[in-house]
Amino acid sequence: MTNAPFTFLLVPQLWSMRNRARQRERGDLLRAGVFGGIGLGVCGALFIGAYWLTTKLAAFEEFGDYLLRLGLSWLFLTFLGFLAFSGVVASLSTFFLSDDLRLLVAAPIPRGRLFLARFTRTVGQASWMVAMFLTPVLLGVGAARCAPFTYYAAAVLTVVPFATIPVALGAGATLLLVNVLPARRARDVLMLVSLLFAAALVLILRFIEPERLLRVESLPDIADFFANLQSPVMPLLPSFWAGELLFAELQGGRDPLHGAALWTTALACTVLLGAADRRWHFAGYSRSQESAKARVNQLRAIDAIARALPLSTVRRELVVKDVKVFLRDVNQWLQLLPLCALVLLYLYNFRTLDLERIPYMSGFLKNVYALVNLAMAGFVLATVAVRFVFPAVSAEGAAFWIVRASPVSLRDFLWSKFWTGLLPLLIFIEGLTIAANELMGIDPWLKALAIVAIAFMTVALVGLAVGLGARYPRFGADPTQAAGSYGGVSFMVLAVLYVIVMVALLGWPSSMWLFSRLRGIRMSSVRELLMIASLASAAALSVAIPWMAMRSGVVALDRMRR
Amino acid sequence: MIAVTNLVKQFGAVTAVDEVSLCVKPGEIHGFLGPNGAGKTTTIKMIAGLLQPTAGRVVVNGHDMAEEPEAAKSSLGFIPDRPYLYEKLTAAEFLRFHGGLYGIADDDIDGRVRGMLDLFELRRWEDELVESFSHGMKQRLVMSAAFLHRPKAVVVDEPMVGLDPRGARLIKDVFRRMSEQGVAILMSTHTLEVADEMSHRVSIINGGRLIAQGTVNEVRSLAGGQDHLTAVFLKLTGGAGLQEIDEVA
Repeated sequence: MTNAPFTFLLVPQLWSMRNRARQRERGDLLRAGVFGGIGLGVCGALFIGAYWLTTKLAAFEEFGDYLLRLGLSWLFLTFLGFLAFSGVVASLSTFFLSDDLRLLVAAPIPRGRLFLARFTRTVGQASWMVAMFLTPVLLGVGAARCAPFTYYAAAVLTVVPFATIPVALGAGATLLLVNVLPARRARDVLMLVSLLFAAALVLILRFIEPERLLRVESLPDIADFFANLQSPVMPLLPSFWAGELLFAELQGGRDPLHGAALWTTALACTVLLGAADRRWHFAGYSRSQESAKARVNQLRAIDAIARALPLSTVRRELVVKDVKVFLRDVNQWLQLLPLCALVLLYLYNFRTLDLERIPYMSGFLKNVYALVNLAMAGFVLATVAVRFVFPAVSAEGAAFWIVRASPVSLRDFLWSKFWTGLLPLLIFIEGLTIAANELMGIDPWLKALAIVAIAFMTVALVGLAVGLGARYPRFGADPTQAAGSYGGVSFMVLAVLYVIVMVALLGWPSSMWLFSRLRGIRMSSVRELLMIASLASAAALSVAIPWMAMRSGVVALDRMRR
Repeated sequence: MIAVTNLVKQFGAVTAVDEVSLCVKPGEIHGFLGPNGAGKTTTIKMIAGLLQPTAGRVVVNGHDMAEEPEAAKSSLGFIPDRPYLYEKLTAAEFLRFHGGLYGIADDDIDGRVRGMLDLFELRRWEDELVESFSHGMKQRLVMSAAFLHRPKAVVVDEPMVGLDPRGARLIKDVFRRMSEQGVAILMSTHTLEVADEMSHRVSIINGGRLIAQGTVNEVRSLAGGQDHLTAVFLKLTGGAGLQEIDEVA
């Protein structure tokens, strides 16, 4: 049996990462540029935000210190629940469902070492996002307070046990759950709960209107709000210990009591979880290999609807297959939950938009916002398309040979993907645009323009997504990860450019028309012609893009046959 | 040696393996036969320590799998039907990691890895990523890993699936050589010719229960002295109708 330390079991992941980094794949640079840029932008914004807020609070002396102390404690408290839940989901994969367990469980690895390796991986997987978020925030706070070096060292030594405690509790809950339910069923339940949790969190954060924090006059209200939320349980939570420890360091002092509480609790949680793992893991892992008998819904309504559509038999069967596969795959349709949260947020933002505060400009601003709404709807559309439409060809996966071996033309196949994606997206985005414009009360002419324009944009973006998805398919990969591939990133870049061009082509004639009507001036015929040309260019662009993308997709799929 | 006694596995109300007992002695190749869904893979997973039995006992080279799982697994080589490989590791890196899991010393590992890669004709690809391997090459790599720590017993699930005739010949030769060196091999297979050609003894499982066990000749006599193992298999597992259709055709 192996005498190597538990870290040896993490070696394949490290070697794989190294080998992956050595491999050069097309689009690596583009992907690194786009995602790295976004990441750096977010980190920079968090750093500046934390720095700005801490500096503002410093102006209130003792009251500012009090708020900073509360704020640190609440920052960690916010992450406590997230980490526990993340621990539940991550441990389900690392301890029970991960493919490499088939290799590792069959090997003579002492149970304790396998546990430590998997737990380390679980803590890493569950907490990297929190660490990424906390780093610029804590750096910003430290920089604003000119904190000593020990503050930064203490921050690292605080985050590690702070993350370990809730993740261990989450992993314990998973261990219990898997011994009650088969792991695959437990995964579906957890996916549902986690997405509901994430959606609810986003909605709550938005509905408490964080922009109020930016107003200095609302500071006393915020202090009351935090004070009201204090409960006798708070000092017993690791978030409180972490907040107190870092606040002491910011003041140039030390807080060994709360540091010791954090580390001893983290250690105790790890030891207890290890003992529970020794007792119940193998039984749970055994259960996770049992395939629960699926309750299959025949979804006959889909067949009936498809029969009523004017489609050829081939296209109809392809559409029915796609819809049924989507609805039966819990991982797929559960992604609609965050989308619903996004829609609610979108509409809420327009509802709370207080344009009447600028009386002279409100009429004009409302109409400018109609164009902003169009651009936003375009970006939402691109995001939804990259997640649901772009992977449509890749989702065929290993079963793509069925289509290729059948007497179905690739053109028919790809256009069936187009129609399957277009219909739901068109209904969704038209509804969103109409509702937002109604909430803002914009000019009827712009409302009509927006309805027509978003329909064209949907056709263009769905065609672009299907076409590029066929041009850069990833049959072996998880379709939910396709958005991060070279093709997915390329689609997003092109989609954003297209939306900007469309808004410019539609915005110029619309604003010309609005101004002329506002001032009661008749436009020259040259200007009218230019306006018509601009609108026609937008329409032509929206037809040309999907046509070219689809054609390129068919050619790419056809090339695979040769 | 592999000794399985009254092994039972229940999935809810379904009994997938029902009171299975078998013994594979050192140097013996034991064919484990049965139709699809008979319980072969479930039995093999329990022997390999991947699945907890509902009842019964598995002993590998004197170590009880339930009581001393690490000692039992140390002397066992396991070749699953759907093996997991780290796709982003090279063949040599994968074997080195595997050797580490089984406690092979650092100064010994490189020699053993080279030896196995030579034996399974993979040396040319030792620094290639596993993801670029064909199915047959992956299968041979898994076998290299299973024999790397010089196990005294080997459990193998469907070893010939996807192998070309040269690959199949190679695997048969390796199994024979290992058996001559005293390794106990339990081999589940659908390929009755392979079982007929290689096995010293066979067990036939159907509906979770062992329905026949013994040398190939003893099993033939159970089925009324049929010549071919295929005919014996079909007669014992209830597929005789198909055999008749073949004969008529």
